[in-house]
Amino acid sequence: MSASNPHADALQKPLPVPDADSAAFWAGLRDGRLLLQHCLACAHVQVYQQGICRNCGSERLEHRGASGRGRVYSYSVVHRAPGPAFKADTPYAVLLVELAEGPRMISSLVGADPSTVAIGMAVELVCERVNDAVTLPRFRIAEAGGS
Amino acid sequence: MKRTLRGRTAIIGAGRSQVGRVPDRSPLLLAADATQAALADAGLAKTDIDGVLASPALAAPFHRFSVAFSEYLGIQPTFSNTLQVSGATAATQFNIAAAAIAGGLAETILIVGADSLLTGLTPDLALRALTESRDQQYEMPFGIPVANTFAMTALRHMHEYGTTAEQLAMVAVIEREHAARTPGAQMTAPITVDDVLNSGWVTTPYHKLDCSLISDGGAAFIVTSAERARALGVAKPVYILGGGECYTHEHIFLMPSLTTTGAVRSSAKAYAMAGCTPAEIDVAGVYDCFTGTVIMMLEDLGFCPKGEGGRFVADRQMTYGGAIPCNTHGGLLSFAHSGMPGSLFHFDEIVRQLRGECGERQVQGAELALVHSLGGGFATQATTILGSAGTL
Repeated sequence: MSASNPHADALQKPLPVPDADSAAFWAGLRDGRLLLQHCLACAHVQVYQQGICRNCGSERLEHRGASGRGRVYSYSVVHRAPGPAFKADTPYAVLLVELAEGPRMISSLVGADPSTVAIGMAVELVCERVNDAVTLPRFRIAEAGGS
Repeated sequence: MKRTLRGRTAIIGAGRSQVGRVPDRSPLLLAADATQAALADAGLAKTDIDGVLASPALAAPFHRFSVAFSEYLGIQPTFSNTLQVSGATAATQFNIAAAAIAGGLAETILIVGADSLLTGLTPDLALRALTESRDQQYEMPFGIPVANTFAMTALRHMHEYGTTAEQLAMVAVIEREHAARTPGAQMTAPITVDDVLNSGWVTTPYHKLDCSLISDGGAAFIVTSAERARALGVAKPVYILGGGECYTHEHIFLMPSLTTTGAVRSSAKAYAMAGCTPAEIDVAGVYDCFTGTVIMMLEDLGFCPKGEGGRFVADRQMTYGGAIPCNTHGGLLSFAHSGMPGSLFHFDEIVRQLRGECGERQVQGAELALVHSLGGGFATQATTILGSAGTL
């Protein structure tokens, strides 16, 4: 935040600041891979990286690359942005994607008119580089026959 | 022995500040307005309060709002806390007050909440309110407003059960009818389903008039033991009969089901403690941050079967003459929504309904009532069941 303009950061989109639980997830995306945590004790698969399995509590978690395929479980097309940083993007579709491996995650649509999104639509991962540190997992509508 | 809070405490005073656009009154002053009205209603002095349970205020971001407000009011309570489970906070204030009094931690508790979201937020605080309530790594980088989490549940409900945009809109239409009869309500001009559908998109499937208001205002209540209520000779104590809560997730992508929520379990616990069924409830206050929220809650609270909420509302079952009159003051959609205190206005209305003080809004013969508060994209759920002396 600059001293001359106290609202400067309001114009910047919030970017993830990786922590001990999530560093591997964001590092994976920089390499073009969406990593899921697989529990070696109970086979639970989770997104939202953390130190223990949410099902059984085991710390024996292994990161494995996801297929990148999924379906739109739900969505909402945002017309009124949450703050000035997102205003220029409206309307945009926030997606709740159910991955082929089971877990759901929040993302947003790229490469298509947001009004064409529908529940159940097949989507695929696009790793979108923001800067040297951050790559965001976004999704596009899958090619016909995909998923 | 089965432990219960049923009938052990009573609300003996209720008051609120002016609501809507109330410039030049800080959240603390609005809280004081409400507290003085509640004390006058109870016939007590501030020195009779020995406990304070508050919700925090975005426009007065004290780390300890309940402590700061006690100082402001000039009291030194021996029990105090500031509760924070988003929109569900209101019902937890009553549940925890009942437990604290029953357990001997306090005798007479002030429940209070106030905020000035419409006129009191600086640009920095407003932006924080918009962005900091969602996860900073896994949600907010994608530009997801809080409204969006509720919107995604509504779209899923429409997909699974055929709920329509017109049915969602009927919730707003009915609550506006209610607000038109409530002195002091923020929005009272009649609206139609077409008005809602033509009010412009916020985040699909929600239009502007599907969304709750942004308001200034506060409410306060005096809760004490049933014994003290009797000793004081309170004419119409409103008893806390049951409470329940449920917390199913923090992140919207970890919500177990988008269309069946933790309200099923929070209300089941409250009904079990109160010893009643949904069909016996005479009047309800149902958290209504968005129109679709009400439809899902009418189902999860047991007022209609799962998937039937849209038809139930379109059939006018949530108003006078229907199965369960809801939000007879106009709710967050038309009365006022000042953030975490918003659901306290539902309690204020229910207390007055159970005392028979609502004039042309009165639900005839109202003896047993339910208030349900929720927040954080259905992450937090809390239910309280209240009754008149006749229900003990």
